[in-house]
Amino acid sequence: MDVFGSFALLLAFICAAYALVGGIAAILTRHPLLIKSARQAGIATCGLIFLATGSLVYLFFSDSYWVSYVVAHSNHDLSTFYKVAALWSGQEGSLLFWSFLLAIYVFSVLLVYRNKNGELMPYVGVVLAGVQIFFLTLNNFVASPFKVLAAPGANGAMEIFTRADGNGLTPLLQYPEMVIHPPNLYSGYTGFTIPFAFALGALLARYPGEKWIHLTRKWTMIAWCFQTVGILLGAHWAYAVLGWGGYWGWDPVENASLLPWLTGTAFLHSVMMQEKRGMMKVWNVWLVFCTFFLCILGTLLTRSGVVSSVHAFAQSSIGNWFVGFLLLAITVCLVAYVKNRDYLKSENQLDSMISRESSFLFNNLILLVSCIAVLSGTLFPVFSEWFSGSRISVGAPFFNKVNIPIGLLLLFLTGVGPLLAWRKTSAESLKRNFGWPLLMGLLAGGVFFSAGVREFFSLFCLLLCVFVTTTIGMEFFRGAKVIRARTGTSLVSSAVELTMRNTRRYGGYIVHMGMVLIFVGLSGAAFNRDVQKEMPPGGTMDIGPYKLLLQSSDSKAEPNYTAQRMIVEVWRDHKPLMMLYPERRFFQSNEQSGTMVAIYSTLREDLYVVYAGQSPETERPVIHAFLNPLVKWIWFGGVVVVLGTIVTLLPNRRAVLVLTGATEPASRSHPASQPLVPSVALKESHD
Amino acid sequence: MIRRWAAVALVFGLSAASMVVVRSAGAQDDRAHQIGKKLKCMCGGCNDTAATCYHVGGAFSGPCDTAKGMLKKIDQRIARGDSDDLIVQGFVQEFGQVALIEPPHSGIGRLAWAMPALYLVGGSVVVMFVISRWRKRPQRTPQPVGTSSPTGISPDLLAHARRRVAQETED
Repeated sequence: MDVFGSFALLLAFICAAYALVGGIAAILTRHPLLIKSARQAGIATCGLIFLATGSLVYLFFSDSYWVSYVVAHSNHDLSTFYKVAALWSGQEGSLLFWSFLLAIYVFSVLLVYRNKNGELMPYVGVVLAGVQIFFLTLNNFVASPFKVLAAPGANGAMEIFTRADGNGLTPLLQYPEMVIHPPNLYSGYTGFTIPFAFALGALLARYPGEKWIHLTRKWTMIAWCFQTVGILLGAHWAYAVLGWGGYWGWDPVENASLLPWLTGTAFLHSVMMQEKRGMMKVWNVWLVFCTFFLCILGTLLTRSGVVSSVHAFAQSSIGNWFVGFLLLAITVCLVAYVKNRDYLKSENQLDSMISRESSFLFNNLILLVSCIAVLSGTLFPVFSEWFSGSRISVGAPFFNKVNIPIGLLLLFLTGVGPLLAWRKTSAESLKRNFGWPLLMGLLAGGVFFSAGVREFFSLFCLLLCVFVTTTIGMEFFRGAKVIRARTGTSLVSSAVELTMRNTRRYGGYIVHMGMVLIFVGLSGAAFNRDVQKEMPPGGTMDIGPYKLLLQSSDSKAEPNYTAQRMIVEVWRDHKPLMMLYPERRFFQSNEQSGTMVAIYSTLREDLYVVYAGQSPETERPVIHAFLNPLVKWIWFGGVVVVLGTIVTLLPNRRAVLVLTGATEPASRSHPASQPLVPSVALKESHD
Repeated sequence: MIRRWAAVALVFGLSAASMVVVRSAGAQDDRAHQIGKKLKCMCGGCNDTAATCYHVGGAFSGPCDTAKGMLKKIDQRIARGDSDDLIVQGFVQEFGQVALIEPPHSGIGRLAWAMPALYLVGGSVVVMFVISRWRKRPQRTPQPVGTSSPTGISPDLLAHARRRVAQETED
């Protein structure tokens, strides 16, 4: 099966090369058969990548311990569930997994648009094939996952040998979220290739009309949703597994995932300027390009070891390949832009400083500033070493200080932007739209302050959360009220109807609401506290309103690890509340151990208990307890963001005006005798 | 009326959230832990502070051995009667500037702190410039063509205006 996998990858590379060269020839000659064959080569490339990935999965499930990658990341006792996760747990497998996810996207695009956008698709196909060739080069010639174990035999020739068992999967990856976090994050990274291909393709083809920007927006939305879920799942994994009590540490790998998310978010806002007003075409194209570049840069940072990261398992010398590809991609985009810049000419015109357009410009500014600040902070240790000879660390406190004010500015704009009118907002409209939200925000601020919240950023954040929530609520309320008056349905049904009639607008508001909930959760971080204590059985520890009593400990042997478990009774208000079981697991196969955190989570706060190990001096268990307010709001907000994104992707349910013959009730039996009075009825349809 | 009640409920709901925050306020970390938060864990595989290094890829998740060693050293110096600054400087002397978790407010470290503000100020200037330039551009209104209606607006111009209104008010 390893030979089959290798062969499939090699054939995929050849097919991708044909899709690229044949695609370019098709564009030049406009020969229909050539166009068709290039597209089919693209589809074949995807099929072959699917087969290669399937081969590697099969090798894991069949415990093929002559394949180097399988030996390094699996063992007999590893459960079936985690054998799937082993696919992306190392460099070679994760690169194949990258190609696999990209192939799913490419396959979908080539199939869905096979009879559409005839002038654009050959260009899109060529760009996609170019990106696939890069990853297939890595899969085939740089980091093949199908390498076998071999040693010189008795006659001096290399002979394949089989190991009795594998090294096993890194303990930290043996956690349910690790089975869904990387696929989501990778789906985000790879997904941004599709809008990139549409934007670059449209530029190269000088594709007339605005269709390409709609397509680009739709695919960006999909990738953005995956990226959001991936980031949040990663944060939750870090929170629930690492045992440090936090969810975001500004590690370079985390930062790398945030960068394309920020530029992607900026694009999703500024694209409306192009769709509505035909403005900012150059800016939008470069935002899409930069989002793709940042995906590649992020991968370069996480895999090259340029900056120290907790994701040390993914470091290698593969970075040079990414540098080369990044430079090539930038060059191609620059040349395409310079040659076709007149195609992107737009009539940028603003009627007023106080308008939706201006708010989008500032929204883009804030998102871009945040992106560049995170990027420069991440790379600063490297630059400082180059320029001054001494490496300067840039850790979480720096990023928090810089990004908290930026985040609050963004939150403010989240509330302001949607209430400003396109073109010009009158003073009357400002008063009407902002009166209540401002009042509610200030009122809430006063309540919070009088309740004792003195931490400035948390107070301001909560104030803004109320402000934004009120603006969103008012938008729904106003629209729903109109529908209710017309249809007589309840306010909630009217709000649902309103949302379904303009999914993009109201789905966007739901996304904003999700972000508000996330910000509420983040505001609690200022009040985190923790206590660490050696606790003999029967020992107690107080943290906030909780008392922890260590009852005893036990150990259990599982096929892949042995766990030592602390049995902790939690008391609150002098009453037993619940039991928590923090544990440490020792994995025999790779002689590593890891924590399993026990969390009692409520909307108010998380009681987060870690068994940190035994004290070397006293051999007593050390319990580290954290009290983290409002964390659950972050995960809840994430769910709302995803729901909102799904709503935005739904087609609008349109209210269609239909002329019907309406008659007076008394004359219903004789309609023909009555003059036909046209009236308007609403009929549902989808666009 | 409903709007008013909803607003009041919202304020009280979020106020309740703030009560939680208030009740939790007040850090209780010990001194070594606080000093550890100013120092970078020197394990070489992470970007965490000595107080919070529970990194991936090391010996295990949970407190990192190097970080534990650093915290122990801090404890010893506290016991010796050293001040917080002296303890931090001790680590800087041992490992260099890299031992500080955030850039110093001197030398090239200043640049790290200045950069985000420069981006924001520079970006704002550019945005303001762009807005003022775009505002000065003359409005391009389509010339009336075709037969004028009694209102003086041609059907083409009316259709154009309707299309534009629909486009600009949809979202």
